Amino acid sequence: MAPQKYSAQVMNCKKPKMEQLQADHELFLQAFEKPTQIYRFLRTRNLIAPILLHRTLNFMSHRNSRTNAKSLTSHLQLTFTGFFHKNDKPCQNSENDQNSVSLEVLLVKVCHKKRKDVSCPIKQVPTGKKQVPLNPNFSQTKSGAFPSLLVSSNEFEPSNSHMVKSYSLLFRVSHTGKRDPNGFINCETDENIDVKEELPSRKKRNSSHRGDGEIPETFVAQMTVFDKNRRLQLLDGEYEVSMQQIEDCPVSKKRATWETILDGKRLPPFETFSQGPTLQFTLRWTGDSSDPSMAPVAKPLSTRTLSELHLLVRKQTMAKDSVSTSMQTRREQSPCEPRQKLRIFYQFLYNNNTRQQTEARDDLHCPWCTLNCRKLYSLLKHLKLSHSRFIFNYVPHPKGARIDVSINECYDGSYVGNPQDIHSQPGFAFSRNGPVKRTAVTHILVCRPKRFKPSLSEFLESEDGEPEQQRTYVSGHNRLYFHSDSCMPLRPQEMEVDSEDERDPEWLREKTTTQIEEFTDVNEGEKEVMKLWNLHVMKNGFISDNQMTQASMLFVENCGPYIIRRNLCRNFLLHLVNLHDFNLVTTATIDRAMVRMKEIEESLPELEEGQDSSDATCNGHAVSSGVSLHGKRTKSGVSD
Amino acid sequence: MGLTGRKSEKGPVCWRRRVKSEYMRLRQLKRFRRADEVKSMFSSNRQKILERTDILNQEWKLRRIQPTSKMHIGFSEFSRQVIPLKTLNAVASVPVMYSWSPLQQNFMVEDETVLHNIPYMGDEILDQDGTFIEELIKNYDGKVHGDRECGFINDEIFVELVNALNQYSDNEEDDEEEDQHDCKFEKMDLCDGKDDAEDSHKDQLNSESLNNDGSKKFPSDKIFEAISSMFPDKGSTEELKEKYKELTEQQLPGALPPECTPNIDGPNAKSVQREQSLHSFHTLFCRRCFKYDCFLHPFHATPNTYKRKNIENLVDGKPCGIYCYMYMDGMVREYPAGVIAERAKTPSKRTVSRRRGRLPNSNSRPSTPTVNTETKDTDSDREGGADGNDCNDNDDDKKDETTSSSEANSRCQTPVKLKLSSEPPENVDWSGAEASLFRVLIGTYYDNFCAIARLIGTKTCRQVYEFRVKESSIIARAPAVDENTPQRKKKRKHRLWATHCRKIQLKKDGSSNHVYNYQPCDHPRQPCDSSCPCVTAQNFCEKFCQCSSECQNRFPGCRCKAQCNTKQCPCYLAVRECDPDLCLTCGAADHWDSKNVSCKNCSIQRGAKKHLLLAPSDVAGWGIFIKEPVQKNEFISEYCGEIISQDEADRRGKVYDKYMCSFLFNLNNDFVVDATRKGNKIRFANHSVNPNCYAKVMMVNGDHRIGIFAKRAIQTGEELFFDYRYSQADALKYVGIEREMEIP
Repeated sequence: MAPQKYSAQVMNCKKPKMEQLQADHELFLQAFEKPTQIYRFLRTRNLIAPILLHRTLNFMSHRNSRTNAKSLTSHLQLTFTGFFHKNDKPCQNSENDQNSVSLEVLLVKVCHKKRKDVSCPIKQVPTGKKQVPLNPNFSQTKSGAFPSLLVSSNEFEPSNSHMVKSYSLLFRVSHTGKRDPNGFINCETDENIDVKEELPSRKKRNSSHRGDGEIPETFVAQMTVFDKNRRLQLLDGEYEVSMQQIEDCPVSKKRATWETILDGKRLPPFETFSQGPTLQFTLRWTGDSSDPSMAPVAKPLSTRTLSELHLLVRKQTMAKDSVSTSMQTRREQSPCEPRQKLRIFYQFLYNNNTRQQTEARDDLHCPWCTLNCRKLYSLLKHLKLSHSRFIFNYVPHPKGARIDVSINECYDGSYVGNPQDIHSQPGFAFSRNGPVKRTAVTHILVCRPKRFKPSLSEFLESEDGEPEQQRTYVSGHNRLYFHSDSCMPLRPQEMEVDSEDERDPEWLREKTTTQIEEFTDVNEGEKEVMKLWNLHVMKNGFISDNQMTQASMLFVENCGPYIIRRNLCRNFLLHLVNLHDFNLVTTATIDRAMVRMKEIEESLPELEEGQDSSDATCNGHAVSSGVSLHGKRTKSGVSD
Repeated sequence: MGLTGRKSEKGPVCWRRRVKSEYMRLRQLKRFRRADEVKSMFSSNRQKILERTDILNQEWKLRRIQPTSKMHIGFSEFSRQVIPLKTLNAVASVPVMYSWSPLQQNFMVEDETVLHNIPYMGDEILDQDGTFIEELIKNYDGKVHGDRECGFINDEIFVELVNALNQYSDNEEDDEEEDQHDCKFEKMDLCDGKDDAEDSHKDQLNSESLNNDGSKKFPSDKIFEAISSMFPDKGSTEELKEKYKELTEQQLPGALPPECTPNIDGPNAKSVQREQSLHSFHTLFCRRCFKYDCFLHPFHATPNTYKRKNIENLVDGKPCGIYCYMYMDGMVREYPAGVIAERAKTPSKRTVSRRRGRLPNSNSRPSTPTVNTETKDTDSDREGGADGNDCNDNDDDKKDETTSSSEANSRCQTPVKLKLSSEPPENVDWSGAEASLFRVLIGTYYDNFCAIARLIGTKTCRQVYEFRVKESSIIARAPAVDENTPQRKKKRKHRLWATHCRKIQLKKDGSSNHVYNYQPCDHPRQPCDSSCPCVTAQNFCEKFCQCSSECQNRFPGCRCKAQCNTKQCPCYLAVRECDPDLCLTCGAADHWDSKNVSCKNCSIQRGAKKHLLLAPSDVAGWGIFIKEPVQKNEFISEYCGEIISQDEADRRGKVYDKYMCSFLFNLNNDFVVDATRKGNKIRFANHSVNPNCYAKVMMVNGDHRIGIFAKRAIQTGEELFFDYRYSQADALKYVGIEREMEIP
């Protein structure tokens, strides 16, 4: 915007000031050009591959037009009043009385021709099938009973695979009623007449007769919704479409001929409507009535009507703001809500706060990403959160608001987003093929964060300088963490567990066992009990004499079965006596522990043979360890 | 060298050559073996790594990778090939991290007398300062690991060497050629497998010793002469001979090392004295860590000198059943009198029994003949020469028992009137294990035979009683209540304490720079006065000291009912954490399994650390970040690491200074904490002159430990810093960055 504004200003300025202005402009560019370019780029990228939806942001909730499940978005609503076919009237009285026909509505998308294609690729999207009353009597039926169809406006959004040139609705009525064998089909029409606008070449007709009466008849008609200039052709209203009959089994293209039936006589254009077959329906564009901008016409495709409106609005503003027209940007102006007559002045502070330039906007679009924030609060919030390269300060203004924009000197480009998103590969979020699944994390949301009522005062330049402090951010972790043992990135789901901080890391457990194993003058039974006890103490982290009784009992519970199986009961008793000798347990504890041990022993299945064999290994091991005696530790060596 | 020359000189020169060649061969063998070990370790490690990468790969497969596009490769003459193209995004590199082992408690290591590796710090450093490595090596007296291997000889190699050389002397007369051949054959044999070789050696030795014990030729003096001349630092010929004798004796089949008591649960359990049964437990147990052979305290006090705090009810008043020994004639009536008489006799008896038992942590052993053999056992390496011609271990035991019984006879006047009941005692067999167990338990339960019988399990109390009568002489008596120290009034004591505390505090304030390591004092029958090591080091006596619990120098703990986080709390004031055995009111001794302890002064011992997260620092290298916000003065983590001596710290610091990265932290005057090799996450906290944390060395249950606390309120995700220089114990000696800045 800077250059544009500048040029606008230059017009008004006189020559002598030119050089000064030039310098001023340089300074302005220096300060604001780079960030603006960056934000422009980000805006474009966000349009192509959005990484977030603004409507999901809390302060943009009004952009979310979704009110309930029923009216998800806007639709094209078609309510069919009936299918009229005068020729069939006699049949109505027959026994297989059929007063409804089945109607199928298809959305035909004619896409742009690609280089290789011979003809325009056509896509047909079925939108629904309905039973439509045949030749209804309007006195009988209430309007609410009419079948209706909804076509979501999403269908008219450009799809990513093909650029769609035009959209049209194809109605196909199949009528399985008995036919008068003698009567011939006279549903021939001139398609150019009955459909309002020109229709694509779907006008095959066959004059061949069918002998049997049960043949289903098919009538088709097509209407353009958006033409290739993306103009809306079907506005709200009641329509009657003249249908043409086609054969079920279409003749091959080669044999198809163009000819007029009915003795070569051409029916006058509106004759067909009296004759039928015609389909009557009402068409309505529905949507969130409170949010006209969300209607399909406004967003993806500019419509005739809206562009007119646009012009109108523009004229109005021009007239009103004639004073400030020189300052007005010449940016493409979108329609704003007519009731919002806020004027917003952007004041750019640069060069030590001495220079400022003002620019006024009438709408609440973000100047950098043209996002319509639609509320001043939302705009300010958006500016503050999305454009952190600048500092924004809100100053109330009689005509609306003034926003002071200055460069954020503290901006360091550090990541301030969710740390859990950094972990998934960088750039992954910007995949060109639509949204990407992020790393799955389970969060338990305990409570709603306390939200202050949106108030513009939070944007005022505060005295203490730290207004952000009061807000409790969900997480202050804005960096990728690593495991301290392996330097592997910490995955989001691993945040909660303090993985490398166990009291008894594996190496320490191994160390204590090998260290005890190294003793040459300690026998196997003693070693076993000592190792078990050490691991037990390390695991539970006992720190006081008081805990020893409890520790001993817990030891019995945890290691009792093992001690019994390895036949170490007496060594265990020696260990308890040792604790007693150090004044750590009382004899009562010894008694209790040994009684519990007996209980455990009785509850264990008998392991007589196993005991014998383990005995043997115990003593055998002691002998073999005697061989590698030299250079190993002895307990006397330790205590000396 | 000509053949003739070799033939002509069969003397010492030839032997020396043999020694050299054999020695080299053995060394090489060892190297091969070592290499094999390393290889197998490597492959097993590799296997572990593969398993873990497999897990990771599995996980990656499940994750969605960015859609792949196809890559078409085509040359005119080949058919077109298509492969999927996977895009791998660039991964930001992380700072360098040298490997370290996680630890939650300090770990004491010994000084390294040998430089383990010559540090490589890039060529530039070496170019700049060529003398650095030299100086470093000088610090270690020129000893570098793996250097001068030829000078290295340990017991194992020594024995092997002598055995190998022995063959030469056997075949002295034989032709030299054959000898050579033998040697080669031997070499091949050895190469096949170490075990074979060793076994053959052993077998040979054993068979020799068995067959012709007396006539077995002891390796000739020539061998020892030659070895001694090759390795002069290993001792004289005679010394080597003695050493060899000792080392080979132990290899007799089935023999246990002399100090080793047979497994009491095993079939070979022997009937031994109480002290012997409990010797391993007593010597290895660390009363401060509650572990056997702990990592932190190299010196363990044995319980022998500990006084029994509480005299438990020694005798169950009631008989345990109708067959209880108490129903034997005369028992019930006479017993109480016996107890009293026994107690009166106690002191003299106890000294006797103590003298007889082993005193594992004293070097000054009584030189009575009975104990003499044990002296040899423990310090065989050094004192072996003194009583060389000793008999083997089994004899020891026998002698032991005979002397004890003889002693028993000589001291027939047992205080207890142990009546042999009118019914003749059944002749029951007491296995070795049972007898040992009995002796152990009688030292704990005294005359509570019912309880002893219950614990032994295989004997009735009557049998136990009868056995006790037989053994009456060697049994420790129930200790007398120490009447000499009357209980003081609590209030008075507390007032005394308060004045004392003030005194000590003042003293400490005066010279606060010197904090000495605490070592439990042990000076029997002497009060803790100026000669007590605790007093001289200006430490309080702890519960681990051998002095009485009434000792003036003991810290009594606090009686706070608050959080113990102000100077109102004497513990806090004395920079100590609350001792759960002393401070019983503040909550330090409650709620073991929860983090909600009312006392805020016991965080280090409980390991109530905060969750820390590792990430590249905003300042330099790695940094540590806090997960949850903390308040001012809240405990964050303990700074853990290896505890090394000040000397060792000086040596290590030289290297760390060069690396510009130091994890050294002064603990007290004696020790330094080094978190380089072992540590916890807080080691990554960086230095700052405006830090958000501070370090405080606290006395925690007898150990100095470093706590890191919040200097101010810290927000979620903030990086932690503390000032390396100004921590309370005047902090780090070597701080890379700071030092570098101070030099110019």
